[in-house]
Amino acid sequence: MTSRNTYNEEEIIEQLHDPKHCQAAFGKVIEQYSQGLYWQIRRMVFNHDDANDILQNTFLKAWSNIDNFRGNAKLSTWLYKIAINESITFINKERARNEASIDDDSFLLNNIESDQYFDGDEAQVKLQRAINSLPEKQRLVFNMRYYDEMKYEDMSEILGTSVGALKASYHHALKKIEAFFEEND
Amino acid sequence: MKEDLDILSKLGKDSGFKVPENYFSDFNKQMMESLPKPNLTPQVKPSLWVRVRPYVYMAAMFAGIWCMMRVFNDMSGATSTKAQIQAIVDGLGDEKNIDDLMLQESLNEYEILTYEDSVDAEQSGIQFVEGSNK
Repeated sequence: MTSRNTYNEEEIIEQLHDPKHCQAAFGKVIEQYSQGLYWQIRRMVFNHDDANDILQNTFLKAWSNIDNFRGNAKLSTWLYKIAINESITFINKERARNEASIDDDSFLLNNIESDQYFDGDEAQVKLQRAINSLPEKQRLVFNMRYYDEMKYEDMSEILGTSVGALKASYHHALKKIEAFFEEND
Repeated sequence: MKEDLDILSKLGKDSGFKVPENYFSDFNKQMMESLPKPNLTPQVKPSLWVRVRPYVYMAAMFAGIWCMMRVFNDMSGATSTKAQIQAIVDGLGDEKNIDDLMLQESLNEYEILTYEDSVDAEQSGIQFVEGSNK
């Protein structure tokens, strides 16, 4: 969650409810959050084109529901929730299309090495496979904590899980990744 | 992050994923162009009456309950007690009832004598007052 000098969340939220300024204010929201949301989505679905579509849907959904956003939660929390829901919906659809079982998301990484927007080495592919082998929630927690360095308190608001449970989840994720590397050495 | 694994510290935070050149700036522009017209409903500030209405209704409800309790109390409690006392007084004035009570052993002879004495005392008192007025 980055911060920019020109971005004042309270001001933006006020403008979002003003028909004269809402479009410009939403532009600032896109500018502020598109990168963070993109990477969150990308690490869930792996493919750039899918992540791009989901990011667009996220903002379109946020825009069409902006009237319901009353500023009770942080704007970032609200957007991350939408993005995660959209990503999970996409994965579920893809899982059904690939006739995969609920705990097998390996189809998401099938073409990672041939993806033109992936230039990771063998170890990075292995790490992505290890992350992908985690249960959905642990994968989310791991990505948010490890890559985004998000605070547990912020994660708690987005995922609706206690800080203690998130810490435990991250710890389990690390153990599973370690076990994955040991098994696949 | 000391809790992280050795392998993670070797790999660092680079996941290997890339985006097309100028992706984010292009995305922001395209996103703004594709946004449909805003569909905002104007926020209407609620009037004073709308804001205080629930409290007024609640106060009226409590006042109604209080009034009903007063009415029921007057109808059943206070009036019936008076009527009951009057009925007992009337009943004791009638000798037939005293006989009935005696038959039922509700009254003993001592109580009747005490009652008769008190009635006599009352009557003589009246006479005394009447006599003094003459």
